[in-house]
This record gives sequence, structure tokens and C-alpha cells, in this order.
Amino acid sequence: MASSIRILVVDDDPEMRVLLAEELKREGWEVREAGDGAEAVLACRVARFDVILMDKNMPGPSGLDLLPGFRRTCPGSRIIMMTAFGDVPSYVEAAEKGAVDFLFKPFRIDDLKAAIRKALGLEPAPPA
Amino acid sequence: MRNLTTRVVLLLMLAFLVITGAFDYVRLAGERDRLVVVAATDQRVFAETLALAVRRNVWRGRTTEELQELLEEIRLRPGLIWVAIFDPKGEVVAAATAWDIPAPAPADQAVTLALERREPISGLVEEPQGKALRYIQPFRWPDGRTAAVEVRQGLDAVEQEFARAVRERIVYRLVVLVLFVLAILAVTRWSIARPMRALIQGARALASGDLTQRIDVSRADELGQLAEEFNRMTQSLEQAQQALLEQSEARLRLERDVQQSQKLVAVGTLAAEVAHEIGTPLNVISGRAEALARSIPADHPERRHLDVISSQTERITAILRDLLDYARPRRPQLRAEPLGPILARVADLLAGRRRDKGVGIRLELPPEDVQVLADAGHLQQVFVNLLTNALDASPPEGTMRVTHGPEPLLPPEGRGGVLRGKADTPLVAIHVLDEGPGMGEEELAQAFQLFFSTKRRGHGTGLGLPIVEEIVRAHRGEVEILSVAGRGTEVIVRLPVLALPAEEPADGTAAEAPRTGDARA
Repeated sequence: MASSIRILVVDDDPEMRVLLAEELKREGWEVREAGDGAEAVLACRVARFDVILMDKNMPGPSGLDLLPGFRRTCPGSRIIMMTAFGDVPSYVEAAEKGAVDFLFKPFRIDDLKAAIRKALGLEPAPPA
Repeated sequence: MRNLTTRVVLLLMLAFLVITGAFDYVRLAGERDRLVVVAATDQRVFAETLALAVRRNVWRGRTTEELQELLEEIRLRPGLIWVAIFDPKGEVVAAATAWDIPAPAPADQAVTLALERREPISGLVEEPQGKALRYIQPFRWPDGRTAAVEVRQGLDAVEQEFARAVRERIVYRLVVLVLFVLAILAVTRWSIARPMRALIQGARALASGDLTQRIDVSRADELGQLAEEFNRMTQSLEQAQQALLEQSEARLRLERDVQQSQKLVAVGTLAAEVAHEIGTPLNVISGRAEALARSIPADHPERRHLDVISSQTERITAILRDLLDYARPRRPQLRAEPLGPILARVADLLAGRRRDKGVGIRLELPPEDVQVLADAGHLQQVFVNLLTNALDASPPEGTMRVTHGPEPLLPPEGRGGVLRGKADTPLVAIHVLDEGPGMGEEELAQAFQLFFSTKRRGHGTGLGLPIVEEIVRAHRGEVEILSVAGRGTEVIVRLPVLALPAEEPADGTAAEAPRTGDARA
């Protein structure tokens, strides 16, 4: 079942991207990476994603700016936003714009995975 | 003359002496004249009597010897110088003197004149013994011609009498003068010197800055009015000073509030930026550590490095969280809250950590009806921070104390302190005391500074007390830290209280604490 889940990771920080991609791939999920909003939009054009994991702070259009566009171009994708600790206003805005969940950096990888499962309506992962 | 009383006394004495002196001078001059007149009258009467007696004797044909005898009899009359009988030719028939002085041999001009005119003559003459009165009384000789007796009397008695009068007067005046001076002294002391001294003391107190001083001169006179005006002036000054103090205090408070909020904005902005910047790298580190932890078993010798990385990233996160917490605009939702349950809740919250360390707690909660207008969540944060600090400072097996009451628990000897905020009254004071090492002056001075911590590196964020201060100020309260090195630290939070217990003051230590818990582990 896991092979069917496709995730797009959008973050301008390559280290973060690599970390997230590696960790999510370990779950057996298919992961694509995008370094900014433009790449993310391109990726969305060519493929369908179940989950888009997007950082709020990026050069160019921010994650919050991109949110409505993604909601239109890929309505089937669940969008999870990531932002800095304590950024409560963004949290509210993201929820209004249709994000399904919100993670404050730094978060635990397990929490991320739990959030993805929750977004997709999957059973929580069995204890490691 | 620096003493007003002395000056008044001397001036009045001078006036008294001039007036009474002039008066006495006139009086005594009159007295002397009167004495001379009396003496002269006396002498005239005597001379007339003597003339009568001599005339009778002469007419009865007495001899000169018998006349001399008569004169000898009266020789010792007081004051008499001499007495003589002149016949119509002006020859001395008989004479007697008081002293061994020669009787006048011939008649002088005055006697001759008296004989011619047949009239008595009186006058003042200069004798070797001093001034003397003479009186010449003519009488008829048996042959029809005129003879005379002369009595010369010294003015010694008059002079003596006069001197005595002068002495008496001087003594009398001295006595009066002394009484007068004493009276003046008493009056000036009572009516001038005493109120003056009070005024001077009052002015001195005023000059030294004591505006509460009032002068007690309850009199209707000018000094009383002066004192009253002085008191009014002092009161005005005190009020003005008070107003000024309040003004400057209010301005200071406002400035501090503005500074504080500016500081918060700056810290908040910085914290948010830092959080944004380091959120991602932190996440990378913690994520990598998590990934590694999966592959390195818990008992692997190198596993501890990983745990350190994890705990240290958690620490950075904690600092960020506290920082954001501190800078987050806090709008307390103020409601009437009983203080006791909040404290009890906080004590419960920390019970686990406390027991782990083996630290006991003595909890004396204020009565249920001590209520404060507060945001319970914020106050809870205050006491969590304070009790955490106390717990961290406590030695193992030590005891923390949470109590209430007006007086500090630590003795004043060797005690340093720092106070923030200013509590409205009536207030309740909550004390959190530990048996830790205490703080020195330098540490106390920095206690409320952002990022200052006395805890071991890595165990304090230096934000706990700034958060406490911030919240307590928002509740119109104050927080004071007292510390005695080597003995412990006491933090007192004073909050304005809403409901007072019926019988006792809000922060009076209850004779019987409603709830005393000793939860020593």
C-alpha cells in the first residue's frame, strides 16, 4: 500500500530536504523534492501527490502564498505546512487557506510521519 | 548680641533706669529741700523759745554767769554748733559751743542788722565743720534797746538724713530692678524665647528636608500666627513635594512600562527571526540524530554522543520557546481568583521532580477567601518558575517553603535584595524560600536581566525571572528577591488582593494556616 503514496517536499534548505526525503523514503513512500515555489508548481504539473509538505519561509513566494494555487492545480493533495517555532499567525492563515496540518520546526521525524498518516486517514504506525 | 531676650532685657533695663533715675533725682532733690526747711523751722522755734527764756532771765536781773549756765544746758542739743547772746551793743554776753571751737567774739554784719531792724534773720553759712544754718532772734533788753540770740546749727543731720534717703532709694530701686528683670526674663522666655526656639527648630528641620515637621505654638499673637503660617507653608511644601514625587514616580513607571514593552517588542522580533533562521538547521540536526538513534542500540558505547546531541537541540528549542513566551504579548484575562488553589496546583505539578531530588516542601497556603484579580494561567507560570528555581537551588534533602505573611522570612543580617514593580494595597505576599547557596550582591543585581542564570550551564535559560517580573507587573504587583549567602534565597510576590478575610489582614500570618502540607519525600 505504501508504494502508492507520493509526497512532495518543498523546502529551500537542501539539508532539510534531503533529511525529510530520506526519512520518508524509509517508510516506503515515494518522495519528490522541490527547492522553491516554482519547482514545486512544475512538479505538481507533471505528477499527482497525495501529500505536499511545504515550508512557509522560502525565497520568492512563501508557502502561504503558494497554498491557494496548489489547492486549485492539485485539489487532491493534502498540504502540510512547516514553519518556525511560535509562528502562530501563520498557523491560523494556513488553516484558513486549506492546509490540513502544521508543524513547528524543529519537529520530530516521528511526529511528521504521524501527521502524514493522519492527513491520509491511515492507521498510526505500529511502534518501532 | 545674638540673643533676642538679652537684648530686650537690656533695653528695658536701660529704659527703666533712665525713667526711675530721673524720677528719683527730682524726688530726692525735693527731699533735701524739705529736710533743710524742717531743720530751719525747728531752729527758728528753738531760737524763739531761747530768746524768750533769755529775755525773762535778763529782765529778772540774772547775772552773766547765770545766763552762761542756761546756755551750757542746751549746749548738747543735736546738731548745734554754737549759741550766743548779744547785748544791744553787739557784745557777746554769753556763748556755748558744741565742740572746742571759739565762740564768735564780736557781732557780725548780720547780727548788727538784726539789732538795728529788730527782726529775725536766718541764713546759710559755711562753717569749718560744713554748711550751717544760722538764726538770729532779737529780743528787748531791759533798757528798751534790742539784744539778740543766735543759734548756729550744722546741716549734718540733714545731710545724714539725705544720704540715708538716697541709700534707701538705691536699695529700693535695685530690688525693684531685679524683680523687674526677672519678670521680663520670665515673660520673654515664655512669650518670645520658647516659641522662637520652636520656630527655629522647625525651620531647621525644614532646611534638613523633613517636611513632616509641624510647630506647636498654640497662641493667638504674632508668633502664633507666624508658626501657623510656617506650618501652612511646610504643609504646602510637603504636598507639593508629594505631588512631585507621585508625578515623577508615575512618569518613571510609564517610562519603564514603555521601555519594557519596547524591550519586549525587540526581544520578540529577534526571537521570532532567530526561530525562523535556526528552526530548519535545528530540525536537520535533531532529525539526523533521530535517524542515527534508530540504528545505534541504546547500549552502544557511542550512543551517549547522540543523546547529548538530542538533549542539546532540545535545549535550544527550550530557550527559543521561553524567549518567544517571554516576548509574546500577554493580555491577561483578569478574574477574581483564590490564590491558594493556584499555589497548590503548582506544588503538585512539581511534586515529581521534587521527589526525584529528595527535596521537601512546607506549604502554608493563604486562606481560601484571599482572592486576587489575576489570570490564573499567568500566575501559575509565575509560581512554576519560582518553585522551579527554588527546587534547582535546593540541596538534596533540603526543604522548600511556600508561605504568606507581611514579613520576610530571611533575617535582615547579611541580606541583599532587589525589588521590581510596585504593588497596590491592600496586598497579599507569597514567599518562596529555598535553602540553597543564596546569591551575592552582583548576582542579585542581575537576577531580573534577560538571559542571566546562576544555574549550571545548560540548565537555565535566563528567562524565568523576567517572565515572572513581566507577569507580576501586569497584575499591578511587585516581586522582591532577598538572599543571604550560604543560607538561601527568598522570593516574595506581592499582589493586590480583592477580598480580605473578615478577621485578619490579608497578609497577616494566620495563626492557623488553613492548609499545611509537608510533602517531604
